[in-house]
Amino acid sequence: METVLIRRPTAPPVIEAAAPTFRVDTPLTSLRAGIRTDAAWRSWRLIASDWEQRLWDAGVAGVTTVETHAQVGDTGAKDRSHIGELAANVDFAIVGLGTCGSCTSFAIADAVAIEQRERPVIAVVTEEFATHGRNMAKHLGHADLSVLVLPYPLEARPDAELLEISAEYYPRALELLGVDA
Amino acid sequence: MTLTGEQVEVPADPHALYERSLTEQWGDGAPVLPPTDAAIELLLAGTAEPADHVVGVLPPQYGVATVELVAANAAMAGVEPEAFPLVLAALEALCVPEWNAFGLTTTTSSVFPMLIANGPSRDALGIDFRAGCMGGAGGRGSMTIGRAVSLCLRNIGGQRAGETSRTVFGQPARFGMCFGEWEERSPWPSLAQRRGYPADVDVVTVHGGKGTFPLADIHNDDPRDLLYLLAKSLAYPLANMFLGNAENGEVVLAVNPMWAERFGAAFPDLADLQAFLHEHAWQPLDLWPEPNRNIFRAKGRVGAHDRVYLTGRPDQIVPVVCGGLGSLHAIALPSFGESQMQSSVARRTG
Repeated sequence: METVLIRRPTAPPVIEAAAPTFRVDTPLTSLRAGIRTDAAWRSWRLIASDWEQRLWDAGVAGVTTVETHAQVGDTGAKDRSHIGELAANVDFAIVGLGTCGSCTSFAIADAVAIEQRERPVIAVVTEEFATHGRNMAKHLGHADLSVLVLPYPLEARPDAELLEISAEYYPRALELLGVDA
Repeated sequence: MTLTGEQVEVPADPHALYERSLTEQWGDGAPVLPPTDAAIELLLAGTAEPADHVVGVLPPQYGVATVELVAANAAMAGVEPEAFPLVLAALEALCVPEWNAFGLTTTTSSVFPMLIANGPSRDALGIDFRAGCMGGAGGRGSMTIGRAVSLCLRNIGGQRAGETSRTVFGQPARFGMCFGEWEERSPWPSLAQRRGYPADVDVVTVHGGKGTFPLADIHNDDPRDLLYLLAKSLAYPLANMFLGNAENGEVVLAVNPMWAERFGAAFPDLADLQAFLHEHAWQPLDLWPEPNRNIFRAKGRVGAHDRVYLTGRPDQIVPVVCGGLGSLHAIALPSFGESQMQSSVARRTG
């Protein structure tokens, strides 16, 4: 068969890069917690508020919540700035929610930004977007970023059901953060 | 000229090459031309940029788009050397962070870069801006420039539906979409001029468009009545721009030349026409169920008289004159919302 030489049109394979990860390694008492929510997801706002109360009950010194609203523009820039401030002022952070394509990308990017500040952090995504979340972490050079996977879909579930999920997954969130029991 | 990309031996037979491209996932499902050194070098001769110049880093997999690698993809799409600078310009524009390629290449939405060309080379390059310009006219420039950008996102950026891209439906424009503005029939400055570029350069503007949304009317003689209906149609309740903030994103309104003439007589200054469209591109708050109303209230998007406006500013509604002389129709290119339109100049050798 006659052949011809061409140049491969694809970019070289992605090199999987893992950045350092961090663990809490102490009990929650007196620690400052950070939670990133997203105005788009009612389900996550409910779960995050339930986890916030559980953190207070466990004796944390404070909980800072940042609700994100945009990906670009002035509001997006403010959101990213608030994430930076959160990273500077907490001992660990919980970042959600990845339950759409771009919101997963930005949740992972915000979690990576916090991990780059050497803070223990977990990114929370739903099952349908778990692979995408892990891929984004890998592409951002944080392949080992801790990712907590919640059931999918969360939207359209009644509050009582969401709170059951919240209770079920809260211990797993602490475990991934490396909180001492 | 020294090319550095990995060489691969493939069948010379076009059918066998097509099969190989499918196996290797180099293509988009349609046949491709072989990116031989001769084909790549021909394209490189059309740009002043060196082969190793980095045009951008393309998400979602952050592949480095060198001019040589872009040329390999453009060669596969059949881009002419004279059109290659427009491919580079489009990629440069969509790599501007505010275009949000990071979000747009991974979203569940159908959104994709839609390329709008302005400047003196539209006809010579076969960029469609008359009848059928949104698809079907078959101009070489439109078909190949748009496809080359699409191939770059796949092959360099690693965007693949169901894998790295979470798009639920996709859209036909994901094969590539590039059309021009019929500047000569527009009563207003061209899109590129409005964005600060001179009329004698070729400019590509990249819009994150969710699809082609058809609008039609045969009953209205008063341009204000027709524009009122167009504005109301742009503000459809499930538009992405009602999901988030009013400040981001633009909706492109492709206006046929016959309507443009009527609109231009009523609104010689395009800013006045945009203000009119903005003034009417709203829906009453009680159109939506309570959960939506709560979000609008929380985001401060409810204006006087409980109106929710599609955009925060008039300039986010972007008329572009194109299409055939049969009148009767307009096309909206709704926005993803979290993306801001970007433009870049096509830089040629010399």
